Amino acid sequence: MTLAKLTRTWAPMAYGFLDGQAKREMRRKMLKAIAVPGCQMPYASREVPMARGWGTGGLQVTLTLIQPEDRVKVIDQGADDSVNAASIRRFLARVSGAAETWDTQDASLIQSRHRVPEERLGADQILILQVPNPEPLRGVEPNMSTARQMHADADYGRLWLTLYEQIVRSGRIMQGAAYPALVNGRHVMTPSPIPRWDVEKLHMAQHLTFLSAGREKRLHAVPPFTSVTPLAFDDVPFKVEAHGSLTCHRSGITGQFMNELPQSDGGALYEVSDSHLGIKAIRARDGEPDTTGPTWYQDGSFRS
Amino acid sequence: MTLHRLAPRIVTANPLLTLSGVTRRFGTLTALDEVSVEVFPGEVLGIVGESGSGKSTLLRLMNLEDAPDAGVYSLNLPQTPGNLFALDRFDRRMLCALHIGIVYQNPHLGLRMGHSSSGNVAERLLIAGERRFSVLRGKGQQALEASEFPLERMDSPPSELSGGMQQRVQLAKAIALEPALLLLDEPTTGLDVSVQAAVLDTLKGLQRDRRITIVIVSHDLGVIRVMADRVMVMRHGRVVEQGLSDQVFQDPQHPYSQQLVQAKL
Amino acid sequence: MAYVAARGGERAIAEAERLYRAMTGPIDANRVEQLQAALPWLIDRVMGEASLSAPEMAALALAQTGGDLYEAVLVLRAWRSTQPRLATAAPVLQEALFTHRRISAAFKDIPGGQILGPTLDYSHRVLETAVLTGRDFVPEPVTPAADPAPAGQPSLAEWQRAQGLVSALPATPYVAPEDIPDITREPVLFPAPRAHRLQALARADTGGTLALGYAAMRGYGNAHPTVNELRLAEAEVMVRHPSRSFFSAGRVKVSQAEVVSKGRADTLELGFAATLGWNEVKVIAAATLDLNAAKAPKGSPVEEEFFLYHTEPVEASGFCIHFKLPHYVTFQSSLDAMRGASNRDAKGEAPLPVAPAEHQTEPAE
Repeated sequence: MTLAKLTRTWAPMAYGFLDGQAKREMRRKMLKAIAVPGCQMPYASREVPMARGWGTGGLQVTLTLIQPEDRVKVIDQGADDSVNAASIRRFLARVSGAAETWDTQDASLIQSRHRVPEERLGADQILILQVPNPEPLRGVEPNMSTARQMHADADYGRLWLTLYEQIVRSGRIMQGAAYPALVNGRHVMTPSPIPRWDVEKLHMAQHLTFLSAGREKRLHAVPPFTSVTPLAFDDVPFKVEAHGSLTCHRSGITGQFMNELPQSDGGALYEVSDSHLGIKAIRARDGEPDTTGPTWYQDGSFRS
Repeated sequence: MTLHRLAPRIVTANPLLTLSGVTRRFGTLTALDEVSVEVFPGEVLGIVGESGSGKSTLLRLMNLEDAPDAGVYSLNLPQTPGNLFALDRFDRRMLCALHIGIVYQNPHLGLRMGHSSSGNVAERLLIAGERRFSVLRGKGQQALEASEFPLERMDSPPSELSGGMQQRVQLAKAIALEPALLLLDEPTTGLDVSVQAAVLDTLKGLQRDRRITIVIVSHDLGVIRVMADRVMVMRHGRVVEQGLSDQVFQDPQHPYSQQLVQAKL
Repeated sequence: MAYVAARGGERAIAEAERLYRAMTGPIDANRVEQLQAALPWLIDRVMGEASLSAPEMAALALAQTGGDLYEAVLVLRAWRSTQPRLATAAPVLQEALFTHRRISAAFKDIPGGQILGPTLDYSHRVLETAVLTGRDFVPEPVTPAADPAPAGQPSLAEWQRAQGLVSALPATPYVAPEDIPDITREPVLFPAPRAHRLQALARADTGGTLALGYAAMRGYGNAHPTVNELRLAEAEVMVRHPSRSFFSAGRVKVSQAEVVSKGRADTLELGFAATLGWNEVKVIAAATLDLNAAKAPKGSPVEEEFFLYHTEPVEASGFCIHFKLPHYVTFQSSLDAMRGASNRDAKGEAPLPVAPAEHQTEPAE
């Protein structure tokens, strides 16, 4: 054994940007989050070279998990080529040596803002959702200390009350994205501002999901095979967006979540929100082999 | 209903509520000094006394909002422990939601002023685990109706209602789960005389129809006289006299009770 | 590939950054040095908010961001979070500070004396327009005092404590350096340890701290401050060498303010704040918040949780600009709920009684 063997050459920053101490804290909090599904774990949240609110929470989880052999996919609103997604993916690849990918099936780590991909995720994949506000009770209780106590008491009466009043007022629940859901029968979590369409994909899933808010310094997790139940009344069932019958004007895909594109003639066109699913369909239409994997929704309805 | 009214009062052997040796101090002040109370099922107990006598502190303890320095509290209900003061937060909250209703003098303490009136009532049911919208709506409506609240305003927030109406919403919320015990803390104080009479009428009617066990606190002897079967007179954190309502009002024994009754007449 | 992405992606990002960098042009060591010499107060403000005493790094951050303060603080903090922690310095007592300026508004004169030090407080704030037409502004040279003020000054609060005007300090057990709560390495939970509160205020946004502190001063707080002692000083950074010797690793600029409120109790209540760099407005405003926090009602601007969350410059500015990011999925989802509700009306489904619209609360995204 020589001194040179024991000494590492100096590097301006640690592997994966975060130093070992920061990663150790993250790993502990991530394990705790898995142990208590849906429960928000406070963490220190280091400053990273990206503005708060731009995915710094998701980034810290991904940086902790990432290894050189990983294949990382980053999407924003379902799109791989969105500017912020591209910037995060480039940063991840630069500091870790992991390969970049757009293909959901090919990815081992998927960091996402506001969408869960349409192709089913498997047990060897981890989904990391960026979370702007981790607190489902924020709307009824802005004080974080009080909200924490409410979670401890499983005191969700006021959250239910807002749903009750939405039905009274509008005839239906008006909560759009970030629909609150009960995890493992105990903690109510926000699934991050994913559409209602995506919430069921977290229920009893094969993959592990981390949800991390860097600015608010909280992370929670949905481990594989854990129940995720959107809050809904027994006689007013939870409804996903009515996108089942819409068709993508570019790829011809039907029955997946769509972006609405207003047209100058007063109408609207639809484009599939999971951009790489669209790419796969277009390639298949143009004669390449169809590489589309099994999707959670088929013909517009969810298959468990 | 008439039958109920005519039925003789049978005092069962076991009290519903038992507080014994309750002491509560705030710094150097002793607000309650070894107070013991029993309330029997279906009975209305009135507690009178001037402000500072400890009567509201006692009621807050009965609602488990506060913990005493000494004393034991029990409710004769299935599956409740011997001393409710020993319950943890979680069980305390559930017990209060399921078995105890309260109407405060200040509606801000009992209501979410910004939410709808029906929502205020529904929240009680939600805490108890009701998850059917139609039942929340239906039961809420029934409770408001029983409190003689005008149903066309059931989705207005209490902040837009008159004082009397706010008290009716509080009452509806309190009785929505048909609690074993209803606590009334100066429920009509501050209301116009005519409104006061109407709210008392509602309370009286509810008590007759449902035989709810009630503890009512008031500095107003008139209110106590209308409502209570039995009266407890408090002063400086102690019970100075108690007895049947008619007895105490017609023939008060303790000099302080005599003073109170005379002042009222 | 048969499919070409419509959006610009990586190339657009690169060009956008080039446009931004073109505004400031090339940066060399000389520019950084000049900024450091010309803008000491700005450098100090950035160092305070970044919680890093490194004037040349702060100057570089300012050069690189063209003076966009929030960007400068972010870039400096991100760099700071990659740096190893080599040692924990010894605590500094007030009397050990090398004091340049020391003011008390509570007494006409105080033990150790009032020392004005560098300030514009009593000067006329006139714009020297002649500089633009070629007449240089050359400041008058400083005349050294015949009798220089002593470098160290006693603490006024200590004198007040001896007089029984300020309550005695609570006995604090010894805390090992590695056990000192550190806001950059653990999350703040409320009620926050005092160390966390003071660290958060030391890193707080100057403007945000001023806004909330000023609100407290105007009457939205419950205590009115009097400046007990304000100091601009240099603090010796005393660290232990692995060989066990104790030595000074240098001096850092610090500001501290102690404010008192009178007439609320038998003794004067103290509010305290300190930061790296010289920044009087921030420490006075922050000390006012500290003073008010004890009896603050929940949800008021002087409540600890409220002011600590809302004066954090990196988090606040980041969240504010994040609203520029696309939100069309969230928007689409709400649109669906809205249309669902209006279809319901159109189909004449059972009308439900209408609840007031102003109470529309939904969990924020």
